[in-house]
Formats: sequence, structure tokens, C-alpha cells
Amino acid sequence: MPVTAVFLKVFRVVLEYGMLFWLLWFSVRLSRQIFGAVRREMRKSRAAETAASEAVLCVLGEGEPSLAGRRFAFGEQIAIGRGADNDIVIPESFVSHHHAVLFRHANQYVVEDLGSVNPTYVNDHPLKGRAYLRPGDVLRIGMVTFRFER
Amino acid sequence: MRKWTLMLAPIGILIAGLMVLYLKAHPTIGAVRPELFLGLSYFPWLAAAILIAFFVQGVLIHRGMDHLIFPTVLLLASVGIVEIARLKPALLAPQLRWLCIAMVALLVVLRLDSCIKRALDYPYLLGIACVGLLGLPLLFGTEIGGSRNWLVLGPMSIQPSEFGKILIVLFLAAYLSDHRRVLTLPSRRILFLRLPPVRFIAPLICIWSMAVLMFVVERDLGSALLFFGIAVIMTYMATGSRSYAFIAIVFIAAAAAISYTAFGHVRVRFDIWLDPWQDPNGQAYQVVQSLFAFAAGGVWGTGFGFGHPGFIPEVHTDFIFSAIAEEMGLIAALMIMACYIMIFWRALQITLACSREREMLLGAGISVLNLMQAFIIIAGVTKFLPLTGITLPFVSYGGSSMLSGFILLGMLLSLSKEQKHG
Repeated sequence: MPVTAVFLKVFRVVLEYGMLFWLLWFSVRLSRQIFGAVRREMRKSRAAETAASEAVLCVLGEGEPSLAGRRFAFGEQIAIGRGADNDIVIPESFVSHHHAVLFRHANQYVVEDLGSVNPTYVNDHPLKGRAYLRPGDVLRIGMVTFRFER
Repeated sequence: MRKWTLMLAPIGILIAGLMVLYLKAHPTIGAVRPELFLGLSYFPWLAAAILIAFFVQGVLIHRGMDHLIFPTVLLLASVGIVEIARLKPALLAPQLRWLCIAMVALLVVLRLDSCIKRALDYPYLLGIACVGLLGLPLLFGTEIGGSRNWLVLGPMSIQPSEFGKILIVLFLAAYLSDHRRVLTLPSRRILFLRLPPVRFIAPLICIWSMAVLMFVVERDLGSALLFFGIAVIMTYMATGSRSYAFIAIVFIAAAAAISYTAFGHVRVRFDIWLDPWQDPNGQAYQVVQSLFAFAAGGVWGTGFGFGHPGFIPEVHTDFIFSAIAEEMGLIAALMIMACYIMIFWRALQITLACSREREMLLGAGISVLNLMQAFIIIAGVTKFLPLTGITLPFVSYGGSSMLSGFILLGMLLSLSKEQKHG
């Protein structure tokens, strides 16, 4: 029966390549499911980045009457010090002329101490150089306490 | 429904492969004759394995656990089963039986996950149990295939080192998460290394070296490398201190040099790796035949059932990757490696979503362990590293390896439930 023989031969070849096909199909499918989730997450985080391009410094407590209860919103950067050219002026002798600056780095904010005589405190730890800020972190400069919010 | 589609591929591979083998064994099919059903005695086990696999996937989806890793593991297992059916038909039914047992064990682990998490409160017991388990073959072991790491219990023989793997990951996760702060104390500086006081790292070093020593005595180099590697990587992951990694590299270099001069079998392995062509028909026969198999396979392979992987000794366990690469080619080999990497990727995602430190360490340990074991043996058979005999996880023939692999998988998957609820 040559017809059945040919048919069986063809069937066998199909099955042989079928195994490779299943392997390839599986890998493609799996990688699309796995990396599709990653891509969605990345897109979501990028969207969040553009929406939350603004941060706020809230003054806590009554340490300095001229600042009590104020909120400072900023985008790129904000400077803090005793000098009048700062965005937030703290008229105290403990505070240096250019005390500290907060600026944006990628989608996070960084606080940098500008070599002040009295330290800047981040969550009650003296700041050396720079640190990334997380929402809710508490900054203390002189007698004034700020809460960083986004 | 999308969560079920991946289950098609393992079943497709099983059916296609077993049918090819059946057609090869019965080249003429005319009228229905009784001898056509010869050699189909594995069929009940196959049906049982497929049913249990669907049940496990159902449980995973129902409980909101990760539904991508299990089909991938099944794909690897199905490729292994098909290749075993072609290489050693007598071992097909036992392998299917072990797959069923392993999947039932997976379900049991999923059920008992709270007990396992409680076991993490007792790191020293886990460590002692691990050393004890590894020490058993020294007392009661028998030598199979050159390494004295088998226990023969009546009709079956088990490999305690496969189960020691589970215990050492549990021990390291428990111990390191308890002592992470102490271990990162930079209290003493030797040259540029920062080390905590000796009494804090003593238990760790003790259990590492006991494990490695036992394997050297039992001549099980692959497991020694695996255990040492997992200990180092988990310590690094827990502490983030490069000093440990540096010390480990120095230590392993020294250990390798000492065992090269002291033990004949280590020297043989190393010399074969440097130049297999000095003795291609003698001691290097296995590696040389494996290299020939890769060459014969090429990109598309010789075709399933048309290669000659039978020339390689132990082809159904350690060298199954060469057989797959010969018969299904570079493409299948790459896809299998991609599967291991995607399991690793997914496992790390599960791990990073865990909330507690010890669970993160446990998940990371399991994911690294799987990938590292696959790497060590694939590197061994392709002569990228000196050959050290361990099984290719989920693919090779072997009950202990299948069972321990699925138990580890169960622990990993039960961590993924955590992620969904909180």
C-alpha cells in the first residue's frame, strides 16, 4: 500500500517538526506574557512620572512665624537659606546664606547640603552631601521643619 | 482561558514525540492487530500525569498563584520524557510515575506552606538536618556511577544530596535573614575586606565547609559546586557585602588547587576539560561523544529518533541536553535555555513582590538554585566548564531530582500567593 506508506511518512515528518513548533510557540507565547507584563508596568511608571512632576514642602510647627503653615510647591528645584535670593528665606542666625537646595533628578528629588555651618537634618539624621528624598521625609533646617510631599 | 493555553505545548510535545516513536516501532499499520498495542503499557501513567498536571494548574489559577512557571516546568519535563522514551524506553514508565509523584508532592507543599514558613524559625535545626542528610551516604551509601551519594532503600535508590538542596536553601534563608544586621557590621578590617567577628560567621562557615567536604569525600563534584555557589550567592544577596564574595572566590580557588593535587578524579576531570583529544576513546570518551552530538545536530537537528545519542554514556541523566541538541538541534537547545531563564525571571519577580525578608531570600535562593544547576550541567556537557555530573533540572531521568525540583517549585509558588494578597 504505497498510499498509506507515503501518508505515514508525511505524518511522521509533520510530527517531527511539530515538536519544534510547539517549543517555539511556547517560548514566544511565554515571553510575550512575561515581558508584556513588564512593558505594561514600565508604561504605567512612565505615566506616573510625567503626572507627578511637582513636589511640595510643607512647613510644620510654629518654629518661624514668617513661615508657619506655608506650603512651597516646586518643579525643578528650590533653594533654602538666609540670603534674600533663596526661594525659601529663613531669617535665623543658625541658617547659612545658601543652606540647602532640593532638585529633581530623573523622577526623584534630591536634597543637597551646600556646605552649611549647621547641618541639615533629614529624618533627624545630619545630612552629608546629597540624599534622595522619599514622600513623607522630614527636613529640619535651623528651627524650621519641613515635610517633603509629592 | 488565556491562563490555560500554555498547557497545550507540553501535551503537544508529548503526543508528537511518543507518536513518532510509536510509528518508528510499528512502521506498517494495516488491520488492527493485538501486537500494535505492545509497548503502550506506559499509557495509564501518561494519562494520570496529564490529569494531575491540569489539576495542579487549576489549583494554581484558583488560588491566584503564578500560572506561568508551572507550564514552563511541564514543558521541560515533557521534552525530557520524550527524549527518555527514545533513549531508554524501559525508563519511560518510571519517569512518568516520578512526574506524577512529584506533582502530588507539589500539591502537598502548596497545602503545607504555612508549616514550611514556620520551619524557617529554626535555622540551626535545618542546618543540622541538612548536614545529617548529606552525611547519610557516608555511613550507608552505595556507589553508583563513580560517586558515593546514593541510598538504596529496598526497590528504589534515592540521592540525599537532592533533598539536602532544599534544606540548605531553607537554612540559608532562615539564618541569613536573622543575622543580616550582624553580618553586615563592619567591625574588623583585614586589608580591604570588612568582616564581622568570627563568632557570627562561624555557623555559616561550618555548614558550608561540612557540605563541601562531604561532597569531596563522596566524589560528587557537581553538587559540591552547586552547594557552595548557592551559599555564596545567598550570603551576598542577604548582606550586599562584596567581601564575602571575594573570600569565597579565594576559598574556591584554593580548594580547587588542593583537590587538583590531592584527588585523582578531580585531576582527570580538569585535564579532560583542558584537552579532551588526548584520550578521546578512554577517559574523555563521554565529553568527546557529547561534542560530536552537538556537531551532528547542527541548527535544525538530525530529527527526533534519527540521531545517535546512544553513544554517550549516561545520556539519559547528565547528558540529556546533548541528546536533545543532537536530535532537535540548536533551536531546541536555545529554547530550553530560554525556558530556564524565563523561569528565573519570573521567579525573581515573585521574590521581589514578597513582603518579608526571609521569604524574599527563600525565593531568590530557589530561583538561583534552579538556574545555577541548569547552567553547571549545560556548561559541563558543552565543555564550557569542567564536567561535573548533576542532573538537568526537570529534564533528566531521576526520581530524586524530579521530586526535589517540584518541592522547591511548590515553595516558590506558595510565595507567589503572598504577592496577590498583600
